[in-house]
Amino acid sequence: MEFFQMLVFPGLIFLSVYSFALEYFDRIVYARLQNRQGPPWYQPIADFFKLLGKEVIVPASVSKLWFKLLPVFAYAANLAAFLYIPLTSANSLYPFSGDLIVVLYLLTIPTLCFFLAGYISEGVYSGLGAVRALTQLFAYEVPLFMALLAPAILADSWSFAGISAYYSAHPIMMLVNIPAFIIAIIAAQGKLERTPFDAPEAETEIVAGAFTEYSGKLLALFRFTVDAELVVVASLLAAVFLPFYASNFIISFILYLLKTVFIVFILAVFKGLMARLRIEQIVAFCWKWLIGIGLLQIVLNVIIKGAF
Amino acid sequence: MNPLKKLIKWAQRKSPWIIHFNAGACNGCDIEVVDALTPRFDLERFGVLQKGSPRHADVLVCTGAVTMQTADRLKNIYDQMAEPKFVVAVGTCACSGGVFGDCYCVKGGIDAVIPVSAYIPGCAARPEAIIDGVVKLLSTLEDKKLQPKNPIVINSEKELADMLDEAEAAEENTETENFEENKAKEDNENA
Ligand code: SF4
Repeated sequence: MEFFQMLVFPGLIFLSVYSFALEYFDRIVYARLQNRQGPPWYQPIADFFKLLGKEVIVPASVSKLWFKLLPVFAYAANLAAFLYIPLTSANSLYPFSGDLIVVLYLLTIPTLCFFLAGYISEGVYSGLGAVRALTQLFAYEVPLFMALLAPAILADSWSFAGISAYYSAHPIMMLVNIPAFIIAIIAAQGKLERTPFDAPEAETEIVAGAFTEYSGKLLALFRFTVDAELVVVASLLAAVFLPFYASNFIISFILYLLKTVFIVFILAVFKGLMARLRIEQIVAFCWKWLIGIGLLQIVLNVIIKGAF
Repeated sequence: MNPLKKLIKWAQRKSPWIIHFNAGACNGCDIEVVDALTPRFDLERFGVLQKGSPRHADVLVCTGAVTMQTADRLKNIYDQMAEPKFVVAVGTCACSGGVFGDCYCVKGGIDAVIPVSAYIPGCAARPEAIIDGVVKLLSTLEDKKLQPKNPIVINSEKELADMLDEAEAAEENTETENFEENKAKEDNENA
C-alpha cells in the first residue's frame, strides 16, 4: 500500500501528470497575456517525448557519470520533498515534527544540481548560468525561509500538521500572514527561475544558462524537474498559507487543485507582466525589501503570539 | 514499430524547437523570421519555441547566402545539434545565393555547406510563407525523400584558406587569415 502511494498518489505518477498539466496552464496564461492563442494541451507531453527521442551529446572534457547523474538527483530531491507535503489532509505520507524544515532543505538540492550541472559542463555560457543560479540562491533563499517560517512561528509548530491544526482553530490569524504570502510568492518566482528572476537562464544573453550543453534525455529530465518544482512549490505554499482540508477525499482533492492552480496563476501573471532584472538588481531587491518585510513579519508574529 | 517509438515520432512532429542563424543575409529575411515569432503569428500554436542553444534545437532556420566567413561557423552549429535535426533555408539567398550568388566572398546557398530539408524562397520570405514551410516540413517528416542523400560538406579550414588566398591575392591579408585560422581552431575545440 505504501509503495503504491509513493508510486501513484501522491507520488511519482501524480507528480508527473500534474506537472505537465500545470506547465500547460502556465504557458496558456502566459500566451493569453500576450494576446496569443497558446500551445495545444498536449504540448508539454510532446516536448518531453520528443526530447526522449533525441541524441544525447556529452562534451568530451566532462565527467560522464556526473553529467548524467545530476538530472536524476535533482528530480529525486523534488519527489522526496513532494512526499512530505500534505495534499489532501493535514498529514502528509510521512508526517513528523519538523517536516516543514526538511522540505525547505530538500528544495535547495535541485538548485544546487543546476549549479553543478552548469559548472561541470565547462562551457562559458553554462558557467555563467551556474554562477548566476548560485548567486540567486543566496538572494531568494533567506526571504523564502523567513516567509514560510513566519506562519509556523505563529502556530508554534515546525510541522505541517501543527500549522494546519492552529489555523483551523484560529482562521482569522491567516490574515496576519498576508505580507509573508506576498514575499513567498515573489521569492518562489526566484526559486523557480522565472521572469523577472530568470537571469540564470536568460536565453537572450547567455543562451540557456546552466543547461546549455544538455540535450536529449538529460535535458528532458531537467525540464521535467523544473516543471515538478512548480508543483512542489505551489503545494508547499498552499500547505503553509492555506492549510484547510475537507474530511471527504474528493472534495479535499478538488480544494487542493484549486489552491495550487490559484498560486500558479499568480506566478504566471507575474511572469507575463514583468521584464528581466539583472542579477545584481535581484540581489539588491531581495536583501533590501524582501528581507526587511520578512523581518517585520516575524517580529509581528512573535508579538501577536505573546499577546494572545 | 513499438508504441513508444510511435509516440516519439508523433512528438517530433508536434514540438519543433528552432534556432535562427544568419549566414550572411541582408537582414531582410531575419526581420521576417523574428516577425513570424511575434505574438501576432503565434508559432507556439504548432509547438514552435525559439531556443538559444543548438543542443536544444531541432530545426536550424538559416537566412542569407553563405559567406566564407560564416561557412565554418554554420557547419559548426549544425554539427553541435543533436539528431534528428533539420535545416530550413529561408529566403532566395538562402536557397540559391540569390542576388549575392556571384559575389567573390559567397559560397552559394545554405545547401553548399549543410544539407537542407526545406527551401522557402522569397525576397524577403513572408512570415506566412515561413510558417507554411515549417508546417509542411513537419507534416512530411517521415518522408525520407526530404532528406538530401548526399550532403555537401565543405573541407573546413584548408579549403577556406585556399579560397581566401585566391580571392584576396592582390592584397596582403595575413591578419585576416591568422584570425580566421585561430577562430576555426577555437571553434573546433569548442565543438
Ligand atoms: S532573400 Fe532578399 S531579403 Fe532575404 S537575405 Fe536575400 S536579399 Fe535579403
